[in-house]
Amino acid sequence: MIEIKDLHKSYKMGTNSLHVLKGINFKVEDGELVAIMGSSGSGKSTLLNILGMLDGADSGEYTLDGVPIKNLSETKAAQYRNKFLGFIFQSFNLINYKSAAENVALPLYYQKVPRKERQEKAMQYLERVGLKPWADHLPSELSGGQKQRVAIARAMAAEPKVLLADEPTGALDSKTSYEVMDLIQKINDEGNTILVVTHEEDIAHMCKRIVHLKDGVIVEDKKVEQVRAEQYV
Amino acid sequence: MFDRDVWQEIFNTLKTNKLRTFLTGFSVGWAIFILVMLLASVNGMQNGFVGQFNDDATNSIFVRTGTTAKAYGGFEAGRRVQLKNDDLEYIKQSFPKDIEYISARYYSNTTARYKEETGSYSVQATHPDHQAIEKTLVVAGRYINEADIVNKAKVAVIGRKVAEDLFKNEDALGKFVEFNGLPFRVIGIFTDDGDDNAERRIYAPISTYQRIYGNTNEIASIALTYNPNYDLTEALDFSERLEILMKRRHKIAPDDQAGLNVWNYAEAFNDISSFTAVLKGIGIGVGFLILIAGIVGIGNIMVFTIKERTKEIGVRKALGARPIQIVNLVLLESVFITAISGFVGLLFAWMILAAIGPMIETPAFSNPSVSLSVVVTATIILIIAGVLAGLLPAMKAANVKPIVALSDK
Repeated sequence: MIEIKDLHKSYKMGTNSLHVLKGINFKVEDGELVAIMGSSGSGKSTLLNILGMLDGADSGEYTLDGVPIKNLSETKAAQYRNKFLGFIFQSFNLINYKSAAENVALPLYYQKVPRKERQEKAMQYLERVGLKPWADHLPSELSGGQKQRVAIARAMAAEPKVLLADEPTGALDSKTSYEVMDLIQKINDEGNTILVVTHEEDIAHMCKRIVHLKDGVIVEDKKVEQVRAEQYV
Repeated sequence: MFDRDVWQEIFNTLKTNKLRTFLTGFSVGWAIFILVMLLASVNGMQNGFVGQFNDDATNSIFVRTGTTAKAYGGFEAGRRVQLKNDDLEYIKQSFPKDIEYISARYYSNTTARYKEETGSYSVQATHPDHQAIEKTLVVAGRYINEADIVNKAKVAVIGRKVAEDLFKNEDALGKFVEFNGLPFRVIGIFTDDGDDNAERRIYAPISTYQRIYGNTNEIASIALTYNPNYDLTEALDFSERLEILMKRRHKIAPDDQAGLNVWNYAEAFNDISSFTAVLKGIGIGVGFLILIAGIVGIGNIMVFTIKERTKEIGVRKALGARPIQIVNLVLLESVFITAISGFVGLLFAWMILAAIGPMIETPAFSNPSVSLSVVVTATIILIIAGVLAGLLPAMKAANVKPIVALSDK
């Protein structure tokens, strides 16, 4: 699904150049649930940005579902993001004047799905995250865990190839974190490929594979026994 | 572009920033209000001027004589130049193609008496053509005709005021009225849109008056209208030829305006037109400058809005919004604010003009109003202004990196 070869990325900071990613080789198969771990400054967010086509790499190859991702125009990148990727953010990033259902329908809007179909699909995904009764609520009327579930429904609505979650539990207490991880696990059980960036050990162990980043290189890449979040809920 | 989601977003931004939206919108509305009022004022001025001249045919030329100011052709300065009947004939024959109507004028004052009523009036002795030149509106009877001229008939066409003064409630037509003791038959009554004073005038055949006053063939001035198909250049060209010819005939220096003067309405009209055109230009210029301030205001607000919504725009882009969709959103919002506030300004100006415009009726200023073309132009300007105001902010928005939506730690 995802294949990265010798990925390099550096940022210019005035006259200095900060080498953030120093040759990443990395492969994700269909249906995997991968945790990307590392302390801050390890390059994990940069890696996620590049995977999410939000940032370009300096050198190296990136193939997503067999499509080489290189030198994309803004418009093309937007199209690919819409088609291939679903984003889950730490701070949810719901649009605050749109109801839960409208937020979920937004990626479909950019896919030019007709309004009625959009609404139906949005309801369908809200039901999957257990928030159908909250469909007409604004984000400000939802709890943190509910917001993240709406965000997950939104990420899934466009039926992307890969879900990218950037510290999805970072803004949640541990109980809600487990609820969200439970949901992510269940989505993965259905065969979706998910990448989770986190720095919490327990969250990482709820994935099936942990990739450890340090100073811009992968120092460890291991399969783990998945801890089901269900038992903590 | 016109789907519900876009409008929902626009209304939401406007709703969350009501005061800000109102204040910016006000600047544009105010600018359009001033622009329309300025244009309406210029229009009113133009209406006033045109009204002043409307009284006479706008293609008329007057030839007047006086005393020469310059020595010329063997004559000393200070010579009185006198027009005569043969001058009229001469002009008629010299410019058969150029002249539409031509009439001589002979001025006199008279004390008119009918029964016990007397009054003092000015008499203009003319040819029949004079009716068309002066646009005299005969409401009863008829104007002077060729037969009156040939017969030197003692007939008179009197103004409505004269009829009211002398005849009170009696029908004046066909009655005899004494002018300085001589009986004249009233053959017509006329009105004049121009002013009441014109209606205190009396027209009589020129030949009659020339005979009464010493069997003379002198005339005071010549009035004529030129071919109505002439444009301004042709009209001015004709009056110049006429002037040259008349000055040569009377041996007057070509640049001596005191000796003989050919006065062309077209010229005056031309002056007024260019005067009001300049005023209009100034009006538009000032209006535009104010409008620019409004546009800058809206642009400013849009920049703020986008700064506030940077994150949202980033999220949208992460979800697959293409740059053009973001640009559309911002432009539409900008055009929307501009157009709505502009229309409010336009509406206010229009209502004020509709309410008080018709009441304003002074010689130099009458019925200030805006035409449909001004409204259409203002609308187009507003939409362009909206696009201009939104353009920079929209590009800024389109360049928002979606990465900012992620870097929220």
